[in-house]
Amino acid sequence: MRWTFGLCAIAMALLLSTTLHGSQRFDQPAPGARSPRNANYEIDVRLEPRDRTLHGRERIRWRNISANPTGELQFHLYWNAWRNAESTWLRERRLGGNSTTPRPDAWGWSDIKALRVTLDQSYDLGASVRFVAPDDGNTADRTVAAVSLPRPVPPNGTVDIDVEWSAKIPRPFARTGYIDDYYFFGQWFPKIGVLEDAGWNTHQFHSGTEFYSDYGVYDVRMTVPRGYVVGASGREVTVTDSSNGTAIHHYHGEDIHDFAWTTSPQFIVLTRTFTHSTLPQVQMRLLLRPEHAGQAARHFDAAAATLRYYGEWFGPYPYGNITIVDPAFQSGSGGMEYPTLFTAGTRWIAPARVLAPESVTVHEAGHQWWYGLVGSNEFEHAWMDEGLNQFSEARVDDVAFGTKNDLARRYFGGFIPWVFRDIPVKRQVDEGLAGYRAQAESDAEATPSFRYWPSTGGNITYFKTALWLHTLEKWLGWPTLQRAMSTYFDAAKFRHPEPAEFFQNLNQAAGRDLTPFFDEVYRGSNTFDYGVQALTSTPAGTGHFRTTVVVRRFGEATFPVDVLTIFSDGSKKTERWDGVERRAIYRYDTKVRARSVQVDPNRILMLDVNYTNNSRTLQPRAREASVKWSLKWMAWLQDVLVTYAWLV
Amino acid sequence: MRRVAAAPAVLVGIYFITLAAALPLAAAIGFGINEHLGSSLTANDVADSVNYDWWQEFVSQGSSFTLTSTFTPSILGFATTLDSLSGLIDKRPIVPAIALALGFYMLVWVFLQGGILDRYARGRRVGAYGFFAASGIFFLRFLRLGIVAGIGYWFLFAYVHEWLFAKWYVNVTRDVAVERTAFYWRVLMYAIFIALLALTTTVLDYAKVRAVVEDRRSMAGALIAAIRFIVRNPGRVAGLSLTNTVLFLGVVGVWALIDPGAGGSGASMWAGVLLSQGYILARLIVKLQVLASETAVFQRSLAHWGYSAVPISTRPEPPVVEIA
Repeated sequence: MRWTFGLCAIAMALLLSTTLHGSQRFDQPAPGARSPRNANYEIDVRLEPRDRTLHGRERIRWRNISANPTGELQFHLYWNAWRNAESTWLRERRLGGNSTTPRPDAWGWSDIKALRVTLDQSYDLGASVRFVAPDDGNTADRTVAAVSLPRPVPPNGTVDIDVEWSAKIPRPFARTGYIDDYYFFGQWFPKIGVLEDAGWNTHQFHSGTEFYSDYGVYDVRMTVPRGYVVGASGREVTVTDSSNGTAIHHYHGEDIHDFAWTTSPQFIVLTRTFTHSTLPQVQMRLLLRPEHAGQAARHFDAAAATLRYYGEWFGPYPYGNITIVDPAFQSGSGGMEYPTLFTAGTRWIAPARVLAPESVTVHEAGHQWWYGLVGSNEFEHAWMDEGLNQFSEARVDDVAFGTKNDLARRYFGGFIPWVFRDIPVKRQVDEGLAGYRAQAESDAEATPSFRYWPSTGGNITYFKTALWLHTLEKWLGWPTLQRAMSTYFDAAKFRHPEPAEFFQNLNQAAGRDLTPFFDEVYRGSNTFDYGVQALTSTPAGTGHFRTTVVVRRFGEATFPVDVLTIFSDGSKKTERWDGVERRAIYRYDTKVRARSVQVDPNRILMLDVNYTNNSRTLQPRAREASVKWSLKWMAWLQDVLVTYAWLV
Repeated sequence: MRRVAAAPAVLVGIYFITLAAALPLAAAIGFGINEHLGSSLTANDVADSVNYDWWQEFVSQGSSFTLTSTFTPSILGFATTLDSLSGLIDKRPIVPAIALALGFYMLVWVFLQGGILDRYARGRRVGAYGFFAASGIFFLRFLRLGIVAGIGYWFLFAYVHEWLFAKWYVNVTRDVAVERTAFYWRVLMYAIFIALLALTTTVLDYAKVRAVVEDRRSMAGALIAAIRFIVRNPGRVAGLSLTNTVLFLGVVGVWALIDPGAGGSGASMWAGVLLSQGYILARLIVKLQVLASETAVFQRSLAHWGYSAVPISTRPEPPVVEIA
């Protein structure tokens, strides 16, 4: 029995170490490189604006860095999500409540014209390309293509794949497509999936999740009409004018896992250099729409703040250049991250005291860390990039721009903003608690992200994660959390880390086992709600008062909280409640009457969905507050009445 | 404006009706807030300033299309005006409780308009009895006119608005990649829609003025006469509309400048309440000024300044007087 137990323990340890070290056995950096560089692309692509098409050829040099040989290759053809109305992407969009049928000219697709692989010799496999649907078996979905190989590629073996394809550029869907003479190309080329030790991890394109791919070197030549400005992942190498009125833009990017590009003749090109005493210099290139010409500094400042704070907190940005794209109105391409390039997003009227375009710029620039450098699987663990980044962005927003972040609402079709000077936006609660509260129980975070309910997943991925990270920050302290995140960043960069790796870093930095907390916030979908049930403080004999405090756990989830009772002379009693039982009762005999009691007075637990019930006072002011706000509301209603009275 | 100033009771009465229409629902909201805050310490923040965190929590307790869902930051200061104007011309749905209050309020307006126009047409005191008697005389006529108006507005909102904003605007801006351009298109749509609404209300107003001044019973006839009047006096009617629009924009502009925002507690809160009620009063003055000035223009064109065909109703003497 003891022998069996020992074997089990060794097996568990091995399993755990495999999990913590990622899902690919040979994911160490290639010699002289930062990343394994196992998916390298040479691409030649031509844009045809007249019929809104792309025509391209690519050579993928792919190395099998998994532990096992593979007899099959799998590719993403993301644009086929808009090939027909029954694609998984469109089905899920309908499931989420958006039943708009794309107009006839909106569709897009990718067609593989030829596919050859070179192993020991060259094989033409174009005719054997088939479509698979590993997630839902949807035969109408053509976003994942597979080909069987004439012989397997062994671990660490290499194969060259030559693909010729053409694509119809969609009207904007999922941040890719065209409008007028603005083009944004994301997920635009046939892209090899990720082979893990457990097999291919090539998910279909889902409406609620993003992408996953291996690191490599991208060498891309894009042919566009002469006069069009191009921005792309990597760094511009050359621009060559052709005799036929086109120009070839050559870009090169190393140790990146995706390549996106944009082109338009309208862009204003601006540059600024980010410098810092301890961080590497970064050349920032901004492609700005003319109508936002006055907002260049706001974009640069936000990107520089990100490079600075993310660099100081987590680790330096290593690429030396970054491109900020200001997307065209209605392009649907705003707020999206790609390696060394991202799209921001602003409005024509952008009040100075509202954090737009700053927040989106910080967010997408921040993805260079949580997505670009740490290449987590966005299909399955979207919280690892979006959630971590939402939290990190909120910190930068606060540190860099905290005093100029007021709430705004837009009227008249969304064109006219109005800023509420007396409603400053606070990072911990105002950016997400409301969204999370509404959907708190919709999915457990540990559920693979692509299986989240389509319309509510974002609240879990972004906001729940950010809220539990804010909780950890307040609970453990920022130095501890920062140490955990920077250690994790350093260990996970240029790899595909699993959630366990992040949790282990947090446990180590905290010096304790936080598993019960992760069980609640990550593995479960229970809500936190602590509250005060009763507070009484009555005379009990001469010169004494008997105070009774009853606190309750209304939610299913548990967390240790303080219970603070304040007495009328200002004295305080603080109890530490483990929050496990459904209630706790505290009694005090004091010379003065109690004034108030508060559960979690420092608001450590940012996930408490009902904070109002966390306190009780014997000198309540609810009536005063309700009079004030009902009179405010009444004036609004009177305004509505008088406005509509115009019609009679 | 002189006629409006000369009849302060009309203004005060209308103000209190506006208050009365809003008060019950405001009380309901206040009751909800009071319940939610209970004895919590959060109430301190909520009373003294804005606690947006609490605000969102409170709203989340209600369903999506209820009174509570209207408790948004748009209830603060000048945002109220942007919200209500935008709500009207963007055809935003109205929650049932507010629709009910609005229906009641508009019905009261329809009832009182006979009295208001009669008072402005005479340009002298008519007494409460005379005022309400005139209201009663014209109520059913204006209700009939209201049916025609309702059909007109229904057509404007259900078809013209749909065509302008859901079809034309969408089609012309579909390929627009510059927000400013789309905005200009939107402004054009607003201008067209507002012009149509304004034309409709102006015709209806002159129909009512004509019915009161000339004691006409046929509302169809009044409508035709109103159209004829507008066609024959386009400059005067347009000039007056423009003047009244400038007055309205002036009031709204001043409100934007003095916007009290959320305010604090105590005196600061009451100062905010006074300012907002002052603004509502100013909006009502503008509304009454429109009616008074249209009455004056109509009478002037007919050379019947201060003329009204309906005799002033006076309260009958009580029987005891007759006996004496």
